[in-house]
Amino acid sequence: MAKVLIPTPLRQFADKHDAVDLTGTTVAEVLASLTQKFPDLRKQLFNDEGKMRSFVNVYLNDDDIRYLQKDATPVAAGDTLSIVPSIAGGV
Amino acid sequence: MIKINDAAWKAMVAHAEAKFPNECCGAMIGSIDGDVKDVTLAQPLENAYAGAQGARYELRPEDLLEADKKARAAGLDLIGIFHSHPDCDAYFSKTDLENSCPWYSFVVLSVKGGKFDHANSFLPNAEQTVAEKEELIWPKS
Repeated sequence: MAKVLIPTPLRQFADKHDAVDLTGTTVAEVLASLTQKFPDLRKQLFNDEGKMRSFVNVYLNDDDIRYLQKDATPVAAGDTLSIVPSIAGGV
Repeated sequence: MIKINDAAWKAMVAHAEAKFPNECCGAMIGSIDGDVKDVTLAQPLENAYAGAQGARYELRPEDLLEADKKARAAGLDLIGIFHSHPDCDAYFSKTDLENSCPWYSFVVLSVKGGKFDHANSFLPNAEQTVAEKEELIWPKS
């Protein structure tokens, strides 16, 4: 089982859990488990085409999965996945 | 509604004024009770934008992750993001909108001539096309 940390604003879509333990051997499988368990999270994380929204980053422990094997990154028991947005801006 | 307590507000204003004429950024941490968000801790973060920072800011996701961990460890929640607009009003710009996310409150502080002038809070949508204004209460406002 891997742990997925749920950001505060998304807990309303995850029965108010701040973290959930889920099965899956890759990031894609764990995220699929997450959105199967909490379907309302799906539209928060993925667009209508099923692609991860542009502002969503996923970290495996302390590493950005974009620099690992993206959603094919292997996940082991005891690993932690974090959902972190990209944020920038300016005048 | 988002309410910012005295200590957090002082930290936000101090960070915004210290970084003038550049944009500053940071995380707002606290607790949520129904529709009321209480910010009790402001965490200044480094503006990681690689170019001139007078009109741009960028948060490193790993810095935000650390801020979230800090909040969780304290039994608090990451509630929002703040940044400054040097010598410019506190509106949610096209650049702000196109680089936002719908999960957090975005407080913009206007700093004019190096001194805080006014602030507003915004709630962007998931499509990054509209940001609704949110009631913002700060000390002495």
